[in-house]
Amino acid sequence: MAIETEAGTTQRPGGPDPVGTPGAGAWWARPALHTGVIGAIIGYAFGHWLGNYWAVPTANSPAAYQQIGTSDGNDFAIVLGYTFMLVGWLIGLGVFNDLVKLMLGKRLPQNGHEANGGVAKYFRFTLDHKVVGIQYLIGMIIYFCTAGLLAMGIRTELLSPVHHVFSSSVYVEIVGEHGTMMMMLMTSVILGPFGNYLIPLMIGSKRVAFPRIEALSFWLTPAAFLVLLSALPLGGFHFGWTGYPTLSVQDTSGADAYAFAFGLMGISMILASFNILVTVICYRAPGMRWGRLPMFVWGILGTGTMMALAAPILSGGMYMLLLDRTAQTAFFTDNLGGSTYLYEDLFWFFGHPEVYILALPGFAIVSELLPVFTRKPLFGYKVASAGMIGVTLLSFFVWQHHLFDSGIDPDMRPLYMLTTELISIPTGFIFLVGMGTLWKAKIRFTVPMLFCLAFYFNFLIGGISGVYLSDVPADTTEHGSFFVMAHFHYTIMGGLIFAFMGGCYYWLPKMMGISLNEKLGRVHFWLMFIAFNSTFLPLFAVGLAGQPRRVFEYARNLTTLNDWVSISSFFLGVSILIFIINFVWSTVVVRNRETGNPWKSRGLEWQVSSPPPADNFETVPVVLSGPYEYGVKDAPPVADLNPPVGVLAAGLSESETARAEA
Amino acid sequence: MAEMTSATPSGLSREQEEEAFYHEAALNAAWTGSRLMIGIVTSGLGGFVFAFFYLRSVNSHGNWYPSSLTPPNKIEGLLIMALTVASAIIQSVGLTQIKAGRKQPWFAAAVAALLLGLVAAALQIWQLTILPFQPGQAGFASVFVGAMPVFALLVLGCMVWLEILVARSRNIPDISFVEQPPTFDEAADVQRFQANLSAFTLFYNFTAVAALVLWLLFYVVH
Repeated sequence: MAIETEAGTTQRPGGPDPVGTPGAGAWWARPALHTGVIGAIIGYAFGHWLGNYWAVPTANSPAAYQQIGTSDGNDFAIVLGYTFMLVGWLIGLGVFNDLVKLMLGKRLPQNGHEANGGVAKYFRFTLDHKVVGIQYLIGMIIYFCTAGLLAMGIRTELLSPVHHVFSSSVYVEIVGEHGTMMMMLMTSVILGPFGNYLIPLMIGSKRVAFPRIEALSFWLTPAAFLVLLSALPLGGFHFGWTGYPTLSVQDTSGADAYAFAFGLMGISMILASFNILVTVICYRAPGMRWGRLPMFVWGILGTGTMMALAAPILSGGMYMLLLDRTAQTAFFTDNLGGSTYLYEDLFWFFGHPEVYILALPGFAIVSELLPVFTRKPLFGYKVASAGMIGVTLLSFFVWQHHLFDSGIDPDMRPLYMLTTELISIPTGFIFLVGMGTLWKAKIRFTVPMLFCLAFYFNFLIGGISGVYLSDVPADTTEHGSFFVMAHFHYTIMGGLIFAFMGGCYYWLPKMMGISLNEKLGRVHFWLMFIAFNSTFLPLFAVGLAGQPRRVFEYARNLTTLNDWVSISSFFLGVSILIFIINFVWSTVVVRNRETGNPWKSRGLEWQVSSPPPADNFETVPVVLSGPYEYGVKDAPPVADLNPPVGVLAAGLSESETARAEA
Repeated sequence: MAEMTSATPSGLSREQEEEAFYHEAALNAAWTGSRLMIGIVTSGLGGFVFAFFYLRSVNSHGNWYPSSLTPPNKIEGLLIMALTVASAIIQSVGLTQIKAGRKQPWFAAAVAALLLGLVAAALQIWQLTILPFQPGQAGFASVFVGAMPVFALLVLGCMVWLEILVARSRNIPDISFVEQPPTFDEAADVQRFQANLSAFTLFYNFTAVAALVLWLLFYVVH
């Protein structure tokens, strides 16, 4: 039976979003950020009241939750408040509108690219992946800067070993907030903005697979951010970003905020990765074979896989922690049949893949940018993609190295030492591909390229110190010291954040049609690069000298080094400030238009105007060659953006034939 | 259904061609998405299974399953598991009917599956309110109190999905499952519905397996 070819309705760019068509009704009556906030406030008030009503013993109901009702903070009411706040927030944003329509049997538009709507569209639950990408970008910058300010607070305190700005308790709270905010929210710093915005463009698609899930993944992040911040007025949390019991079970109500926010961010990660993975697998343009995928897409594919499989364990672990704190379960209470080690295993089963969730997108960006600025094909494309797959797989087999000093069976240590050292091999593949691409290249030292080069410099230090730390004796010696702290800042800030900055300078002309100021960009880069190394390199020495993490007093003989580090960190903060000034100056004040392909990139995303049209491409492109064939004689163009009618149908026929044969 | 997806569009305009292209992509997305969801949920439930075996083998202070612990009611547990499994089987049988072009038998099966699933979830929630032990009484008690609300939520989520399919099916004429609908849009609608239904059935069968595993753990192995 053949399908008739009569067209019904075609896809409507700018078609109705779940929150209604722009222009329909007064702005204040349409679901958007403000209605979300109102919903969240009402939800929290209701949930908190309900929690108190249920938990506090009364004459009529004296039994089960007496223990909670008489503790210094009603965790049950707080967690229920957060839960209803989240529900109210999502209702207010209009997230459930389409779900209700579906349950009533109504049809939904397949997609909704925002062709208009002005600035207001950035404050709504929208189905346009480009709008979601920009929302993520602004959100991530805000989260990063907030966590960065907390880092400034930490370094201010450490200016002196004896004169204190904060109490020891407040200091630990700030350390915990900084660490958690960075580690939970920065997981999406590249996948969120660049992944959501660019992946469809890079694979030649006009759509993403699940636009509602994509949008929801973003709108959970502000909720997680605010809940985490709310820990401070609730007394903070005093166990750093890892949340180890028994302290996390016994801590003040700030621990509820920690567990709720981290668990929520886990859900956001699952949703974001789910959409990205299905989009890459199913929505590639004709001709976009696996062997032609841009390295950025490979990197995001690996990151998405790790997120999808590791984040559920994180959310599960945080849920158990919340149950221990509210419903009085005993998952992590040894004398009641639980085990604190259970938490450590669950946490690090997520936590170590998370390190690669943070590192891999950085590698993805620099691998994408290097060929553009060296004008050479990527050296060892297959090796790099194999390296990314290798890192993804091996990342699930190394988590026990975080337990080397926590009472792990000593016989297990060599195995996990081996797996940890093993993962340096695929990482080395990706690194060497970069070096091979740079070899004998005529490099264009643009701002994005400078950040890429800095990435390799920083990651080399972070990576080598990581191999050193994977060795059990070295780890046992340096455990809990500033040496470890310096190591992971070199990989995460020196790697991920430098790559993110490079990505911003490279892709903002594409995303916003506006290029950032080059001079300010160079000042930003050099100040950030020097200040970063000046901040974190001495910390290796500080750690080797024995200064422990999370302690606000230290040996007097380390004052000079600590002062040096603190002052450097302030300069690091200034460099980020320059970036913000550049961002605001270039995008709001000057608005230096960039509509073409300023880097002369072969990337598919650059073959359309900047910013891209509402539907990404006028027609579905047909990919003709790989994205890195720079300087290759007679290399075909990367894609036919206006293929003749019938090409897509031919592709469909082939897939139908293959399916029939299967 | 096999018939419905085997047609090749030809002589299409560019817009129609693109519609067909993205229609195909959406069908594949339903297939891929359901498998990926199974992976994600397996990972999530795997955390509880890990907790179960970890705490059971550690048996801290002999408090994994102390003799003083009154176990959860076995009949209730069996009933919840059986209802979930029966619901999934009925839905699977229904799927074979609609694949053969018979919508009404599927509709009846889907409604029955929906009711059974809702009863299973409701029974699970009710059981959690009358447990014969305190949540922190033992390791076993903690894992039970943690895992079963997640399971109930999982079943409820499946039922929302099934309800959406049932509601959507009411807009599709019975004949569309037998004969080719007259327009591309209508044909695409039927194919998407069927792809969605197949994806749901697979995921719901997985949920039934999860119900069986959890029942084995909490009522047989403990």
